[in-house]
Amino acid sequence: MADATEAAEPLFSTKNRKTFKDPFMVNNPITLQVLGICSALAVTAQLKPSLVMGIAVVFVVACANVTISMMRRFIPGRVRIIVEMTVVATLVILVDQVLRAYAFEVSKQLSLFVGLIITNCIVLGRLEAFAMGNKVWPSFLDGLGNGLSYAAVIAIVGFFRELMGSGQVLGFKVVPQALYDNLGYTDNGLMVLAPGAFIILGLLIWVQRTVSGHVED
Amino acid sequence: MRSSTYTVVFVSTVAIVCSLLLSTAATLLRERQDRNEALSKKQNILKALGVTKKLDSPAVDMFFADHVTLFAIDLEGNIDPEADAAQLDMEVEDKKTEASSRRYPIYRCTIENEVTYCVPIIGRGLWSKLYGYLSLESDLNTVKGLTFYKHGETPGLGAEIEKDWFLNNFLGKKINDQTGTFISIEVVKGKAADAYAGNEEKLSHAVDGISGATITSRGVTKMLHEDLTKYVPYFKQLEAN
Repeated sequence: MADATEAAEPLFSTKNRKTFKDPFMVNNPITLQVLGICSALAVTAQLKPSLVMGIAVVFVVACANVTISMMRRFIPGRVRIIVEMTVVATLVILVDQVLRAYAFEVSKQLSLFVGLIITNCIVLGRLEAFAMGNKVWPSFLDGLGNGLSYAAVIAIVGFFRELMGSGQVLGFKVVPQALYDNLGYTDNGLMVLAPGAFIILGLLIWVQRTVSGHVED
Repeated sequence: MRSSTYTVVFVSTVAIVCSLLLSTAATLLRERQDRNEALSKKQNILKALGVTKKLDSPAVDMFFADHVTLFAIDLEGNIDPEADAAQLDMEVEDKKTEASSRRYPIYRCTIENEVTYCVPIIGRGLWSKLYGYLSLESDLNTVKGLTFYKHGETPGLGAEIEKDWFLNNFLGKKINDQTGTFISIEVVKGKAADAYAGNEEKLSHAVDGISGATITSRGVTKMLHEDLTKYVPYFKQLEAN
């Protein structure tokens, strides 16, 4: 199924590297395209579920991109969205089953949201925008890049929300008890709720756009 | 444009391949998932019994072997030694047309001569069924612990029922009034202290509700009443002896 007739391109050509790297900064799915916000708000109250959600999304986007890219010549245009959804749904249910077997506690926390990866705009967005028109390897890199950049953003949000909301990182107390006792420091309850994620995400987008110099048209 | 036949065949193939893949995965992982569920259930029984330490799988089994016995009772409060209590499903039993043939599981936990009882509670919330356990002190009146181990309520609203702040409200509440008549426990709308200000008797049967989750709260009230009712005859017999 590989495009043998076209000239062989080195695996890590400049173009391929750009495909992989772009989503992190120049074209970040969350902070620039503002996709996948629903799950970014929902699962990031703590770092651990954020990380697991990130890994799950990386797996789903990369595999879905590869699968759709392999099938792209055979998919009838009229039903392509249905076929894409079927592939994504299959992968997501697979992830859910594996989590339930090997990471039960986490799967209980995520249960609802793992299913919601199916509706994560990033996944369908990459399939439509990239995998339907590109070869398998670049599609894989594109999926990996977008998935990882999504994972990175929600991990950062999760880190700050857990730190400020409950004084912990990955469940370990990091804010010293003396601070609570002597200085009257209290955890910020807002950070545990969804608005906390909005604030962190907003700041993150600000920082990111200042660094990259991106301006809305 | 491809022909309709091609489209139909293609989509069918994709669907069949996907479903085969999923059923294979589900079958292969079933055993492990069931084991996880069973362990989580036992851990929740322990939590309801007031064992706060999180035990791993062998430790849980050992605790159960040492301290916990499971048996079945009927609606008249008699122990049925014939019934396989471990296989009893409360929902299946509820549907049996003959009330006299229904059997319900109950756990008795003995730690240093202190006996506590733990019963399953199942009911409906807003979106989903709620599954939990409630345990009583040896006086068969005071709540020792409550947990919910399975539900599909809205995170942040109905799902708060599994959080400690909500569950801890139940500790020390009474299921009977002073004359020993079964009352159950009510989840009120808002604060229990406001709803029944100054009424100590009512307050001992009421806990704070969850704002934004009225239907889930009502579901909890209903399931507590319905499911505890099934065990009241047995508790009465125990007291009589």
